This record gives sequence, structure tokens and C-alpha cells, in this order.
Amino acid sequence: MSYVTLNYPFEPLEAPPEYRGRPRIDPKLCVGCGACSRVCPSDAIIVEDNYRDGLRRIKLDISRCIRCACCEEACPTGAIKLTREFELASPRKEDFTQIFELRLVKCSICGKPSDYTVRQVEKAKQILSHLPKEEVDEIIKRITVCRECRRKKTIRTTFESIPILGLIRA
Amino acid sequence: MIMRLVSLCVAIVIALVFPLIFDGIGRKIKARIQYRMGPPIFQTIYDVSKLLKTPYLVSGGLMFILAPCIAFASALASITMLPVGGISPISFSYDIFVFLYVEAMVSISLMLAGFSVQNIYANAGANRETMLILSTEPILGVALAMLALLTKRLSIEGIAYTIGVIDYRLLPLVLIAYMMLVYIVYIEGGFIPFDLTEAETEILGGPLCEYSGRLLALFKWALLIKRFTLIWLLASLITIPSVAPAFSRINTVFSYILVLLFQLFIALVLYCSIVANEAFTARYKIDHVISLNKRVFLVSIIFFIVIAVLTL
Amino acid sequence: MKWTIDRVIEIIKAKFGKYIKDMYRPMANQVIIVMDKSAAPKATLFLLKEAGVPEPQLSTVVGTDERPIRGMFSIIYWVSVNAEGGDAWIGIKTYLHEDDLKIESITPLHPGANWYEREIRDLLGIIPVNHPDPRRLVLPDDFPKNIYPLRKEYDYRSKPTVTPRHVFKRPAEGTVIVPFGPYHAACDEPYHFRLYVKGEEIVDADYRGFYNHRGIEKLAESRLTYNQIPFIAERICGICGFVHSTAYCQAVENAMGIDVPERARYIRTIMLEIERIESHLLWIGIACHLAGFDTGFMHAWRIREKDMWLAERLTGNRKTYGLNVIGGVRRDILEYRKSLALNTLSELKREYKEFVDMLSSTKSFIKRCEGVGVLPYNKAVAYSTTGPTARGSGRRIDVRKDHPYAAYGELDFKVPVYKDGDVLARAMVRIDEVWESIWIIEQALDKLPGGPLRAEIKRIEPYREALSYDEAPRGENVHYVMLGRGNKVYRWKVRAPTYNNLPAVPEMLKGYTIADAPLIIASIDPCFSCTERVLVIDVRTGEKKAYTEREFNYLSIRKSRR
Repeated sequence: MSYVTLNYPFEPLEAPPEYRGRPRIDPKLCVGCGACSRVCPSDAIIVEDNYRDGLRRIKLDISRCIRCACCEEACPTGAIKLTREFELASPRKEDFTQIFELRLVKCSICGKPSDYTVRQVEKAKQILSHLPKEEVDEIIKRITVCRECRRKKTIRTTFESIPILGLIRA
Repeated sequence: MIMRLVSLCVAIVIALVFPLIFDGIGRKIKARIQYRMGPPIFQTIYDVSKLLKTPYLVSGGLMFILAPCIAFASALASITMLPVGGISPISFSYDIFVFLYVEAMVSISLMLAGFSVQNIYANAGANRETMLILSTEPILGVALAMLALLTKRLSIEGIAYTIGVIDYRLLPLVLIAYMMLVYIVYIEGGFIPFDLTEAETEILGGPLCEYSGRLLALFKWALLIKRFTLIWLLASLITIPSVAPAFSRINTVFSYILVLLFQLFIALVLYCSIVANEAFTARYKIDHVISLNKRVFLVSIIFFIVIAVLTL
Repeated sequence: MKWTIDRVIEIIKAKFGKYIKDMYRPMANQVIIVMDKSAAPKATLFLLKEAGVPEPQLSTVVGTDERPIRGMFSIIYWVSVNAEGGDAWIGIKTYLHEDDLKIESITPLHPGANWYEREIRDLLGIIPVNHPDPRRLVLPDDFPKNIYPLRKEYDYRSKPTVTPRHVFKRPAEGTVIVPFGPYHAACDEPYHFRLYVKGEEIVDADYRGFYNHRGIEKLAESRLTYNQIPFIAERICGICGFVHSTAYCQAVENAMGIDVPERARYIRTIMLEIERIESHLLWIGIACHLAGFDTGFMHAWRIREKDMWLAERLTGNRKTYGLNVIGGVRRDILEYRKSLALNTLSELKREYKEFVDMLSSTKSFIKRCEGVGVLPYNKAVAYSTTGPTARGSGRRIDVRKDHPYAAYGELDFKVPVYKDGDVLARAMVRIDEVWESIWIIEQALDKLPGGPLRAEIKRIEPYREALSYDEAPRGENVHYVMLGRGNKVYRWKVRAPTYNNLPAVPEMLKGYTIADAPLIIASIDPCFSCTERVLVIDVRTGEKKAYTEREFNYLSIRKSRR
């Protein structure tokens, strides 16, 4: 005779394998792309850049999480996964947040922090590994510029691309 | 005299403790019928003791505070008139009326509690209780009157001891009186399908909906003791006729304990069968109950006349 | 001659031809006819009462603030044709100018439109002229009078409040008022029914609801993208979440003509039916509990546990499945789960049969349900009731059969209809539907086709509109979507089935006792959370600033300058 009620919490209870529990980010795998934060319906993941210290801070607040697993689908490296944990009650708010920081790569022109993390650059190199090394380095140098430098570069190249203006400048 | 005092103490202790344990056993049985694990058997004791420690809010006048105390006192008082271990602590020749009276005080205090607050749900519950009492007390009266006629005694102890030795030709009538008594116990005990007064899902607990804390604990306890008392009456009327003659030959104390245990056992069996029946019925509406009671009353009057003719 | 949508269009053209300004077909079975303001209510009433179409139903009335698009407000009256009427949804649309926001009310002749017109008045400010009961419906009592949340200038984060005041119906001579809710042991969601009683008999009833009003439509318009809305749609209701997310996805798919792959449609069907089983079993348990029959309650929920457990194995959660996206589903039903589902269903069938036998032999319970809360057929049609409430009164309507969606067109099942109109009839409809649902799931699992799970979506064209519909456990659930720019919807209207069924409850309560009231209210299987979502006002933060109309308008002008 099996009862429909169990002796939980006096005996342990395990969730089935398909259960969607709290998400956890593996900081070693995360590249800081922010895809999870963009897709999250409840803004449980917040990605903020700190340009002064050159750090990207990723904050996961599972008290806002609705366990939809959209972040797990969007993550390119498999860093964030939903575990099977459901016994999460705690009197401290800190137990619900996971915060870590990734270093932003330096701008190739002025040396200030740009909008990409070091890991993103490494992942890009990995994706482009079928091209020769010098070409890859050239591409990376062109992309990793900070906002200021990018604006200046864009204006300069636009200016230079218009023949008349180029003549005037010359 | 000493035996009566001892019996009184035993009766009070039993009345305080066993109704709660029986209620716990009842909940466990209902849970098992419903394929659940159910609360532990002492859960009702835990509940009542916790409620006793909680402060209470007063929403009515003096009656609001007095009603649970009256109910509790009457419930305890009523068991002292029943045979406990074969000896009734309080017994005199006309005590059957007093028993009826004191037993009814519990219901009446429930009614008064319902009318003492300005709450439509409490009033509705008190209304229902009034209608229930008005329709069941007559039947209880007739049932006990039948037993009184059959045994020519008007005290409960006397009836219990005499039933065993009456003329065997009157046994069918005794059985009919017993069946009516069972019916009464069912209604007055407030078992499903007759738990209209405190219907939680319909009228939010009826007269009890404004009660909290210690007063609520007293009321709940009183209602459970009343239930237990009625079952005890039935159990005594079964135990004493069957075993008392046999045990009269043994030492008094020993026979006392044996009869007491036997009474407890029969009470438990009766309670469990009632609870098992409870698990399989829904609640009746007040008009159903009243029309049912009317019919039972008419039938009981007919039997009463038959018995009166045969015995007088 | 068989009824088709074209025939209905012909009939309307014949009578109202000169008032028709425009007509277009968002989908094969839906038509939007744009008419003059003076003719639109008349045309709606004509369709509902005189046209002779089979089982006409006023499914929903959508009000939209279309001033950013074309400078006017719009109302669409959606009428559906059911039973032998074929698959037809007629939307009669009319535009109103901001300075003349009045329209003739159709409530005096069709009581089912009562709530729709009050809601549009509360949220958009369009006044129904000659409405018999123009009280506030949706917004809380302490919401200021001239502020209309669904207008585009209203920011979804604002919290205006004034002192609260609500007017109830006056009690008749000699009656006593029995308040029912918002807190009551029998209410699982907050609502307030006022019962006017004489002794124990109910003479009249008044309803004040929308305590669960959360502002989901405004939220979705303001800060969610297309693929994030299914998650909030799922949380509209505590039991029937999947029907809402499916209906929303279907609305967008209908508007853009996206073809959902077959496998996705079958998976949606399976999950919809699993939800129906668990909802009906929950209801049976609640009905038993309210009648005092706790054993029935416990056994019904015990059997329901098997269904919930199955849902958890298939989707990862007992209730919020998170399966739907626009164009298909996100998760597959793999082989080992198929056999798990079939085993669970056969166990469920066995236990359910024992349970139904026990229930039908419990005379005391049957006596509580029989002859109680009767809703006659003509009243059921007048209030446009839907689902088991309507089928218990003899209306042969079911969205799965009349307007097939997902995979229902390819599956075989019956629709139970009972004529008595009492609580027992509605209970029997639900009990029979559980058998049909199990049969549907078995067929769908058996026929589950292969193929992709999602359709590829190239682009979303703004300002296209469409309707979608499905059969929730409580009845016909209708969503209307107008697509917008920037990956957001422009207007999303959710009309849950209880919205149509609740106005009929005061009719069902008259003449019965207080003891019957919880059972009658529960017999329409009310889902108050589904019924009430447009805008949230948080009174509890203590923000009690009373904005005058000038201050408030100034705020909105200032915002658009930025």
C-alpha cells in the first residue's frame, strides 16, 4: 500500500531527472557575452560593466528566476545550467545571489577597458582557429577598441571615405 | 464511598485525556482510508495544548467568555453520571433527567456563543444548532424513556445493571431502543454527515468562527468530551449488561479495572466504526436533517407506545 | 445548406452593407469588418440574436488605443459561430475619435456583454451609453477616476491613488447581507460575493472581484519581447497556464501565417489534455470538499498526483511547463517518456474508475449536487457562458470540435453534453471529459509524427492582428494580438473563460440556501486569476499621493517631451 503523502522532511526526497531547479553559473566557463541576461524574462541575470576598474560583473539573482531555462538555451559555452536543487529557503538574501567578475580586455588603441571580456576574445580566437594566426590577430586588434576610440575611428574613416572631403583634408 | 471518589477521579482523568486520543486515532483512520499517512495519534493533544497557550481575542460580551467555560464544565460533569468501571461517581434515582439536561448544556452554550457576537456566520451556525437540538432532544428523551420503562429504573447505573437481567422476550424492544440511541449519539456527537453547526467550508466554523486561543481550546475540548461521553454511554450499556454479572464474583478492585478496560475497548471499537462511516459520507443540509428527525421521532413514538403497553 | 464564414459575411452585407467601410481576413476562419460607430453594436446584436446562426457566442470585446497608428480608439466585437456553424469568427470593428468616446451599449439586450463594456470603460475611457449597471469593474476602488491605464501614455509603473469608494446594490426589504470573501475558508482566491438572504434562502447576489488584477496585458505591451510573453502567459492562472501560453503563441502564429510543425502541434495537444485532466480532478476534489465529503477530496487529489508527476517528468515542472515558443515547442517527448506516459495513463484509468464508482454511490454527495444551482438553457445563451458550465445546460459547444486547433482536427473524441443545468450536470460533464482526455492523449502519443519542433520565423510585420482560441478546462479561452514594432506586441487581450461564466453566477444563486452558495460558485470552476489581469496598482507601498487630472496630464506631457 503506497501512500500519497511522504515522510518528507524526515526522509530525503529527490527531484526527478527532468526537474528544473535553481540555475548555477560555472564561472570558469562563462565568457561574459550577456546572452542569458538579454533572454531572461524576469531580469534575474544582470550584466554590468565597470569601466573604471575594467571589470564585467555578472549577477544572478535566483529569487527573481522563473526557472524557464531560456538562459541555458542561450548560453554559447554551457556555463549556466539549471540544477535539480529545490530546497533553497534561507533567511539571508546573499544565499540567492551569485556574483562574479570577468576582466575586460584593453583597448588596442588607448589601453582603456573596452566592451569585451578577455574570455570573449579567447573564445573568438578559438572559433577563428582555422584561419592563419596573423589574420586572427589583425581581426582581434581591429575589434577590441573602447567606445571612445571606436567613435573617433568611425568618424575618421567616414570622413576619409568621402572623396571631396578627403581632398579638402589633404 | 471511597470507591465512588476513586471512580470520580478516574472519570475526570479519562474525560480529560481519552477524547483527545480518540480523536487522534479517528484522524489516523480517516487518513489511512484516504491513502495518506495522517497526523500522529497525539496530534489533537498537541493542538489543544498549543491553543491553550495562545492569547485570545474577545469579540462579544460576558457570554462570549462564559460560554466555553460552561460548555467545558457541563461536558465534564456529564461523564460523572455514567458508570466508570461499573460504578457511577454520581448516581441517584432520577439522574437520567439530569444527565440529559447537563448534556444539552454543551449545545446550548454553543448556541449562546453564536448569538453573542455580531457575525452573520456565527448566527447562522447558532441557528442550525438550535434547530438540531430542538429536533434531536425529543428523540433522545424517548429513547431513554423506553429504556426506563423496560427496566423500571430512572438512574443510568440502574438501567445499565438491570438491562442484563430482564425478560428475554423484551430483547427486540431493547435492541430498538439501542438503535435509536446510536442514531442520537451520531447526531449529537456532530459526526459527518451531521456536522452542520461547525461546517467550515460553508459558514466558516459557525459559532466558533470568532473564537481564538484559550477559549477556542476549551470549546473544542468540550465538544470532544461531549462526543466521548455519548459513546461512553453506549459502551456502558453494552459492557455492563454483558460482563458485570460475571465479574461480580471477583475481587472489587480487580473487577473494577477489568470492567473499565472493557468499557474503553468497546468505546474504541464504536468510535472507530463511526469514524470509518464518516469517511464515506458528505454533509447533510439542515432541512434534510430536520425532516429525517421528524420521521424518526414519529417512528420512535410508535415504539414507545408499544413498549408502554407491553410493560405496564 | 451548411453554414460557412462566407455565408455569414453575406448575411451581414445584406443587412448592413452601406455601413461597412472595410473588410479583411487575418486568417481563413476569421474576418474583421470595419463599420460605422452607429452600426457596429446593431450588427453585433443582429448576429447574436436574429441572424439564426447556430450557437452564436459573444467571445470577447477588445478595446485598443490605436492613436499612435491612426489617431483613433478602436473596439472590436468578436462573435463566434459554433456547433454546425462551421469555423467562423466575426470581428466587428469600429473606430472612435478621442473627443467622442461613446458607443451604444448592447448589454440591455445581451447580458453577456455587461462586463466587457465596463472593462473597456475602466481601462480606456470608452463610455457605453445606456448601460444598466455602469459601476467600476476592474480597477481597485482607490484608483483615480479619469486615469485610464490601457491608454498608451500611461506608464506601467505609475501608482496613482485616491480614497476608495465602491457602491454595492442596495438590499431589498427584509433581507440580510451575508458577505462571502475576500477571506473565506471556501475561497481559494480572493473574491467578494454579497448574498442577500432571507433566513437561509438567497434572494439576490452581487459580485465584486478583480482583487487579483495584476496588469499582465500592460506589462506585456511595455517590457516583454515576443518570446518572453509565453512565460508570463503561463502564470496568468494557477491551473490552466498552458492554454494561455498556447493561445498567445497561436495568436501570433495566426497573425503572421506561421506554419507550426506537426510534431509541435501534437506535443501541444498532449500537454493541453494533461492539463485538462489535472484541472478536472482538482475540481472534483474541491466540489467534494465543499460538500463535506473529505474522502472524495483526498482520493481525487491522490489520483491527480499521478498526472502532476507525469507532467513533471515530461516538462520539468508540475505546472509551469515553459514549453511554448512562437512557432512551436522547446522540448521534445522522447521515446522513454512516451512509454512512461502510457503506463501512467493506464494506472490513472484504473484508479479513476474506482473513484468514480465510489463517488456515484455516495448518496449524500449526489443529493447535495442534484437540482442545485440550475442555469436554464436560454440564460446560458444570453450570458454567453462557455465550457462545462454551458455544456451542463445543454449548449453543444466545444472549441476543439467547432474551431479545431493544434492537432484536434486529426483526433477522435466526443463532447459530453447534459441538459439539466444543475451542479450535478456540470460535474458529470467534467467527469466524462477526463475519460475523453485520456483517450486523446493515448491517440496523440500513438500517432506522434516526427519532424522539427519549431518553425523558423523570418520577420514579424507590425500592426497585423489576429484572434486565437482554445478550450481551457473552464471553457473557451480567446486571445487577441496586434503585433507591434521593436519585438513587442502592440495590444494583447486575454479573455479567460471564467470572465464569461461569472456574470451568470448571481442567476444561479437565486432561490438556493447559504449552504449551497459555495458549491454553486465552485461549480463553474471559477478561475479568478485568469479573469482578472490588466494593471497593477500597489496600494500597500503606502504611496498615497493623489494626482489631480492636471498634474497627471502634465506628467505625461513631460514624458513625451523627453
